[in-house]
Amino acid sequence: MVAWLGLTVLAALAGDALPAPRWLLVHLFLLGAATSAILTWSEHFTVTLLHARPPDPRWSAARLGTANAGTAAVLAGAALGPWWAAASGAAVIVAVVVWHTAVLVRMRRRALPGPFAHVVPWYVAAGAALAAGGLLGGLLISRVVPGGAHERLHAAHAAVNVLGWIGLAVLGTLFTLWPTVLRTKVSALTRQASRTALRLAVPGLAVAVLGLLLGWRQVAAAGMALYAAAAAVALAPLVETLRRRRPTTPAGWTLAAGVAWFEVALVADLVMVAVRPAAQAGRALETLLPLVLAGFVAQTLLGSLGHLLPAIAGGGPARLKRNAALLERGWRVRLAAANLAVPLLVLPVPGPLRLLGWALLIGSVTAFVVLALAVVLGPVLAGRPAVPGIAGVLLGCVLTAAAVVVAVQDVPGTTAPGTTAPAATSVSGAVSGAARTVEVTLSGMRIRPGTIEAPPGTRLTLRVTNRDGQRHDLRLSTGQSTPMLDPGRSATIVLDMPATAVDGWCTVVGHRVAGMSMRVLPTASAASAGSAGSAGTASTAQAAHDQQMSGHDMNASTGRLDLTAPMSAGWKPYDATLEPAPGGTDHQVEIRATEAELEVAPGVRQRVWTFNGTVPGPVLRGRVGDVFTITFVNDAAMGHGLDFHAGALAPDRPMRTIQPGERLTYRFRADFAGAWLYHCSTMPMSQHIANGMYGAVIVDPPDLPRVDREYVLVQGELYLGEPGGQAQVDKIVQGRPDGWMFNGTAAGYDHAPLEAKAGERVRIWAVAAGPSDGTSLHVVGAPYDTVYKEGAYMLKKGGPGGAQALDLAPAQGGFVELRFPEPGTYPIVDHDMRHAEAGAHGVFRVSAP
Amino acid sequence: MTWWSVVRFLHVLSAALWVGGQLTVSLIVLPLARRLLDAERRATVLNAVGRRFGMFTGAVFLPVQIGTGVAIAWHKGVTWASLAEPGYGRILAAKLALFCAVMAAAAVHGWASPKGLPGLARTMAVAALVGSVGIIVLAAALPAT
Repeated sequence: MVAWLGLTVLAALAGDALPAPRWLLVHLFLLGAATSAILTWSEHFTVTLLHARPPDPRWSAARLGTANAGTAAVLAGAALGPWWAAASGAAVIVAVVVWHTAVLVRMRRRALPGPFAHVVPWYVAAGAALAAGGLLGGLLISRVVPGGAHERLHAAHAAVNVLGWIGLAVLGTLFTLWPTVLRTKVSALTRQASRTALRLAVPGLAVAVLGLLLGWRQVAAAGMALYAAAAAVALAPLVETLRRRRPTTPAGWTLAAGVAWFEVALVADLVMVAVRPAAQAGRALETLLPLVLAGFVAQTLLGSLGHLLPAIAGGGPARLKRNAALLERGWRVRLAAANLAVPLLVLPVPGPLRLLGWALLIGSVTAFVVLALAVVLGPVLAGRPAVPGIAGVLLGCVLTAAAVVVAVQDVPGTTAPGTTAPAATSVSGAVSGAARTVEVTLSGMRIRPGTIEAPPGTRLTLRVTNRDGQRHDLRLSTGQSTPMLDPGRSATIVLDMPATAVDGWCTVVGHRVAGMSMRVLPTASAASAGSAGSAGTASTAQAAHDQQMSGHDMNASTGRLDLTAPMSAGWKPYDATLEPAPGGTDHQVEIRATEAELEVAPGVRQRVWTFNGTVPGPVLRGRVGDVFTITFVNDAAMGHGLDFHAGALAPDRPMRTIQPGERLTYRFRADFAGAWLYHCSTMPMSQHIANGMYGAVIVDPPDLPRVDREYVLVQGELYLGEPGGQAQVDKIVQGRPDGWMFNGTAAGYDHAPLEAKAGERVRIWAVAAGPSDGTSLHVVGAPYDTVYKEGAYMLKKGGPGGAQALDLAPAQGGFVELRFPEPGTYPIVDHDMRHAEAGAHGVFRVSAP
Repeated sequence: MTWWSVVRFLHVLSAALWVGGQLTVSLIVLPLARRLLDAERRATVLNAVGRRFGMFTGAVFLPVQIGTGVAIAWHKGVTWASLAEPGYGRILAAKLALFCAVMAAAAVHGWASPKGLPGLARTMAVAALVGSVGIIVLAAALPAT
């Protein structure tokens, strides 16, 4: 008895790991707690109802112990491997239940015919159902079933175990338990109803399971209907009893709620099987699982426990009363919480609400378990005043355990989901044939992880979640696929790893070519994917982690940047805010040519050549007629020079290339207003600019109006690879950039949005640095009322016209002005969409004024 | 050795004082008080200890811990979004949640003690103690940088 109570506690504690593998939670609860309960109670009731001689308690204990050992084997075998451990565990459980059923049958044969003998056939039928269900479960886990049949087998397994083993056992028990709980006599209808219901239920269940097994939807639905009718018939005497006497005890209410949810689940299941497309019909019961588990099984269990526990705990009448009162403590709240939680868990509600559902349910169940423990352990602890201390330790441990679960969940190496694990998730299993679960996320035109490695023979469960704003699915080259997933929804695919690579992709038109593809590689051939080119070298451990990830994402499947990946911790965006021109007409600036390693795209670090360590270099600002004196120092490893487009002078001296360690002074007067480019003047300039040596000089036109905010964006191309290396130079020469960047980071301002308030006037200065591509700068949702390009206003505020894009050829510059109409998120893009989708993209986060 | 080392030092020192203080009171002061003092004096002494410790918590520990914690997080570039990411962010989030829970337990303890609810007060005190040891566990699990 205490053993299975312990398992219930275990199930509740496992519940603390909320989204822990669902399989484990379900089986811990159903196999661990529910099966032990049924074994114990059905024997107990058979003995009491038949006034039979109880079977040898040692053998009963042996059965319970063996069943629990089998359960442990199934849980351990399925979670950690090897699979045959789980399969033999299932066989043990089946054997125990068959033995148990045989004992019940023998007891009935030997007993005198009594008024309650009709209950035993229910238990026998339930036992038969578990034998079938356990067999199916064993087959499922033992990999002998081909992929296509797997799903049907799974559906049949779930149906026969939940509706048969648990459903039949509970219905049978309720005939006598229900009147007992209500403290009234058994309804006169019971006997007849019980006979009829069982005669309907058994063939109904058989037909339903057969239908599910063969994939015949109509047959399955018909069987289900028969079963539902049987449940209705079985309910008749219960309802009759209820009409005579309303439940007064918490046990009564809890049981009633449990039965009500059972009916709801049956009807919903029936409807789903009948209505859904054939492919999804099998999943009907699975979607309803929380309802069945929490609503029906858990509440029935708690209800009967609540009623029976005080009696079992024993003691005199006073103690009985005290224990009953203890178990009733706060029962209204607990009942309400549990029943509120059930719909939250089943219905498609948003994440936080679902979490609330879990919290309510677990809170309710935990409260009961604590009370039950208090009843059971009461006498043990009675003499000790240390209860508050123990309770405190328990509470602290539970809190800490919950926090640890949150903390370690999804950390690479345990279950390895997409967002953290290196893109190539390696599923290592010493034993071939292990089962593993991998989290797969669909978002931002990417499938993460892009590569999964597993030894052939592994049973891979892909938990696919759509974290995007639009619908996606995942289809494998083996033919398996998830349904089309709405945003936020998940589905699983079970893949028995073959010896060859399996491709996966999203079937929505255009998504595969846009990068939504992935591969599952058998471990042996996976070595090449890991070493295939890395985008840069990492400097810190953390960066290495992220960088590896996007490096892999780039190379593994598509060869594109993953712009939605997170930026590395510690990354700071180039400050796009443009300060007003400093006072005075003389500007002294020191510019140093240096090399640096910068994050040029999310998670991608690249060695770059810079002015003052940033790409772009420092922004210089002044007014027409100001004089700029630049001291240029070459701290780099090769020759560099300077070329300020804003100045008018003979290039020979100031624009000459200086060698490492040298310096020169570059003085120019800004005779003309505009947004000017400056860049390295050393040949080949395509490489020097492509590797980051450019910047902007802003010379304000006279009478430039004040605005609320000014930003400057310098657009350039991104060429990954060793600077000046053959591969990179080829790309530069052929004009095949890996991406486009605003201020030195592809999609940087997607991750660090530019700020503005609704109604403010914002001026955006832009310079196209190239080396090869210009820009067509566009702000989504906010037309320009002023456009200034290459020294002249093309559009001035106040007229009827507006502008949609500022077009700049390489080395041109200008500004636009606009007013954000209302709070929101406004993308700013190079409307050459090829550029925008490869990094020339940022957002303005416009808040309320 | 930068100023950030100093901030981290303050964070660790203040945590050590708080957790160590609780451990010292629970493991050394309380048993000795039970053994050596009669009920009345014990109550006086323990009340005073509790009140002083509560004052230290509110006036020194919480401001220092939250201030330095926020600063360190800012320095490390932690954002709200990064808290959800597995690894550093998730562990930090769990640690923060546990910290809040422990503070709540400590607050309930402080509230229950003078109200004459010794059972509840003791439960909460022990829960806060165990929970704060859990925080240390999580802090140790934060990847070093």
